Amino acid sequence: MSLKKDAKKIFKKGILYDNPILVQVIGICSALAVTNRMMNSLIMGIALSFVTAFSSMTVSLLKSRTPRHIRMMVQVLIISAYVIIVDIFLKAYMPDMSKALGPYVGLIITNCIIMGRAEGFAQSNPPVLSLLDGLSSGFGYTLVLLSISLVREILGFGTVFGVDVMPQSFTKWTLMVMPPSAFFILALIMWAAYNLRIKKEKEGVEKK
Amino acid sequence: MKKQKSFTYPIIFMTVVTAFFVSILSTFSQATKDTIAFNNESELRYKILYIFDILPESKNPKDIEKVFNERVEERLAGRKNIYVLMDGEKEVSYAVPVEGPGLWGTISGYVGLNEDFSTITGIDFVKQSETPGLGGRISEESYKEQFRGIDISNSQDGKFIVSSPQSGSNVDAIAGATQTSSAVEKLINEDLNDFFDELEVKQ
Repeated sequence: MSLKKDAKKIFKKGILYDNPILVQVIGICSALAVTNRMMNSLIMGIALSFVTAFSSMTVSLLKSRTPRHIRMMVQVLIISAYVIIVDIFLKAYMPDMSKALGPYVGLIITNCIIMGRAEGFAQSNPPVLSLLDGLSSGFGYTLVLLSISLVREILGFGTVFGVDVMPQSFTKWTLMVMPPSAFFILALIMWAAYNLRIKKEKEGVEKK
Repeated sequence: MKKQKSFTYPIIFMTVVTAFFVSILSTFSQATKDTIAFNNESELRYKILYIFDILPESKNPKDIEKVFNERVEERLAGRKNIYVLMDGEKEVSYAVPVEGPGLWGTISGYVGLNEDFSTITGIDFVKQSETPGLGGRISEESYKEQFRGIDISNSQDGKFIVSSPQSGSNVDAIAGATQTSSAVEKLINEDLNDFFDELEVKQ
């Protein structure tokens, strides 16, 4: 029962209150780079969720045996192992996707979310909770990426997941295809999320 | 906890953990090596067949491999590795590799030529890292299809491909991607010239 409760709390935190991109503002480099198409964002999000979840779990499993002063080294090793697995998997079974994401799969290693979760959560929590925590952060990341890419793909290509949705006469926005547009959209989403949060907090205070 | 402060424990620990992950990774990589190699090969095969305009209906890599093995031969011409399309014993057309700098990185691909080098039959790019949606559109059908059946027998000064808006253009440039369009024009013209020069010396 308590695990269920904890899990619920962790997911709420990862997706809403502590959303890695909107609230902590980490890991946005890839959020800017791969969000021009929804499919890319989805695969990237799944890959990152997988890596975060399993590296957090592994870090947590090894934490009592890891000497504190070399823990960063161990974490990087674990993270890179999982990233290489994802990279090889994509190359072997989804070659088109692997081409579309290009170097960004390998760069998951440097994504601050993974290291952040390993340091901030997995280091002091049991393996199962760490796994869930990694997953929730990954989902939070994926949702933001998907919402950015939804706007970018509709305006930039006139499609959603590669399916045409806009009328033929629609003029595609070249800007939306290029990385700078992600800055604008990400900022708008952050702004909306921030206002929502403030509103919620105010309501909470009034209730008390 | 005391042993964790020792000098040797971290080294041993790190070695064990590394060995563990390396063994997992190498097993996994070994298991998928053939699939990855096959993927890369079938992508190239698909592109060569596209250039010769003899793509089979099905996009199944196995079918593509079959057609490729039946009709295409690889050969060294000058210093370049070219692909030759055979019709029985006769050579019908050639796919010549071209390469040059694009806007962001190297663009490389193949240009198809007919048997007497008078017509370009098609083009495809093997590697390009142009801006997606702009220069990256050189990989789209609508751009590549323009290169079907371009007569180059009367080209002057080795200008086989002339991008719009220059006068006498035979290929439409991509709007908003002028640099990529002229890079493609330049790399095709230069490499085809090299290729012809080399062959004429040899012939």
